[in-house]
Amino acid sequence: MAHIPDGFLSVPVLAGTATASVAALATAARRSRATLGEREGPVLGAVTAFVFAAQMLNFPLGIGASAHLLGGALVAVLLGPWAGMLVLFAVLLVQALLFQDGGIAALGANTLNLAVLGVGSAYVVYRMCRLAFGDAPRATVAAAAVAAWVSTVLVGLAVASELALSGLVPWRPALVLVGGGHVLIATAEAVLTGLIVGFVLRTRPELLPTRTSRATAVPAFAMAGAALVVVVLAIALASSQADVLEALLERLRSADAPAFAGPPAAPFADYVSPVGGAWVAGAVGLLAAFVVAWGMVLAVARRRS
Amino acid sequence: MSFHHLDQFAHVGSAVTRVPPAGRLVGTVVLALAVATLPPGAWSQLGFLALLSLALLAIARIPPAVVLARLAWPLGFVLLASAALLVVIPGDPVVRLGPLTLTAQGADRFAAVMGRAMVALLPAVLLVSTTGFPELLQGLRDLRVPIAVATALGLAYRLLYLTVDELERLQRAARSRNAGGGAARRRHLVAAMAGATLGRAFVRAERTHAAMLARGFRGTLPLLHVTPWTAGAALNLVGVCGLALAVAASARLP
Repeated sequence: MAHIPDGFLSVPVLAGTATASVAALATAARRSRATLGEREGPVLGAVTAFVFAAQMLNFPLGIGASAHLLGGALVAVLLGPWAGMLVLFAVLLVQALLFQDGGIAALGANTLNLAVLGVGSAYVVYRMCRLAFGDAPRATVAAAAVAAWVSTVLVGLAVASELALSGLVPWRPALVLVGGGHVLIATAEAVLTGLIVGFVLRTRPELLPTRTSRATAVPAFAMAGAALVVVVLAIALASSQADVLEALLERLRSADAPAFAGPPAAPFADYVSPVGGAWVAGAVGLLAAFVVAWGMVLAVARRRS
Repeated sequence: MSFHHLDQFAHVGSAVTRVPPAGRLVGTVVLALAVATLPPGAWSQLGFLALLSLALLAIARIPPAVVLARLAWPLGFVLLASAALLVVIPGDPVVRLGPLTLTAQGADRFAAVMGRAMVALLPAVLLVSTTGFPELLQGLRDLRVPIAVATALGLAYRLLYLTVDELERLQRAARSRNAGGGAARRRHLVAAMAGATLGRAFVRAERTHAAMLARGFRGTLPLLHVTPWTAGAALNLVGVCGLALAVAASARLP
């Protein structure tokens, strides 16, 4: 559930995410003009149209289900973070206004998740991987795939955090269901992004910028890094000091949604319970899977380049 | 492929279409916000806002069958997304289905979320049914959406049909050559198609841009038909927005 519909989020979350999105988009609009200049219109138009069209392609997962491209990492790789954010925002805007895919009031939250955090984090991870793996074609493909995986999981965690902060769902089921669901989506996204970047590298390598300027990279690093720290802190807080967070949420919640007041009941109250245990195990498993995948990609990229 | 089925009623003149597109956008956002920010349990306010939206749809002369058809897909998605609430919210168990326990609190929250989501979709349907894409773009530009986004959307709207046609040509070519086979080969095929479409979209965009520059394009796309602001339209808009906000505020009164 990457596109949050209306009615799911509380007033403070709606207001906070909308403010953050407006600030990020204003920066993105200024920066993208500086990088793309005269070509801005046609390039953004082409990539926006492409993302729409690509989302209509069904990607078989091999288990009877299929997924479609989200495109955040792909546009980050193709256009850099700022123009990429504008493209995804344009896509989200049309999806909300014309197709009712994602709420109009929740547009701020969806923009923050998919356009700002999704594209920004994908770009940061992509840059870091390029620094680590080098510039060989295989390394570029691996970097794009890792960026797609990480950014999609982060989008899932952001959605889960917003639902939990709104007092709609307790933290653990939100993180397990929404975050866990996005781990599956992220795998498909990583494979698809890697394959597309590989194809583009073979057929039209000039579409991929070989080196992005340092001027664009630094603020992107700073912003997405800050977002990353917030998400990681929120998760750490939710898992290690649940009582502190619950007390804080209680105060937020009692101001906004009186009917939802009352601490989350027994099943999620302590760590001995199977749900708490499962969540901790899930988080550890997720981290371990990521470390293993990262190591494998690193090994492959080093050998091939 | 085209979006024409979306705005097939955009030319039907009514009190709603006499409001300029920027006004319609503001009205839609205000109505959606009023609904989305209602506290759980504010059923009378929710009902009132639903009636207000339905009245506006009736004024815009959108047939009920069209409204229902447009609601079906997003409602299905909302239902799917919020169904989990029934079982993940801890509370007093009502029904047990194997490992899942449906709780009273879960049902309450499910009803509140579904109600708000359903009613918030109505103003969006009103907007898309009364406003063509070029008008929508003009409205966004009047509301100071970044010019890059507005231009990207304008060009994307023109390029989208061509890009999708391109994609369909590739799919047809692949099918006629019996491409595919197992899931792994289909995955490579889908990625190759997407990559090829991306390349062609870029080529087309650059050609289009060069042609536009040759015809005197200066960064903004002109609109042939502009809806002017009238006192009546402005009053109607302010009235509807004021009413929606007052109803939303009344739900928060002690």
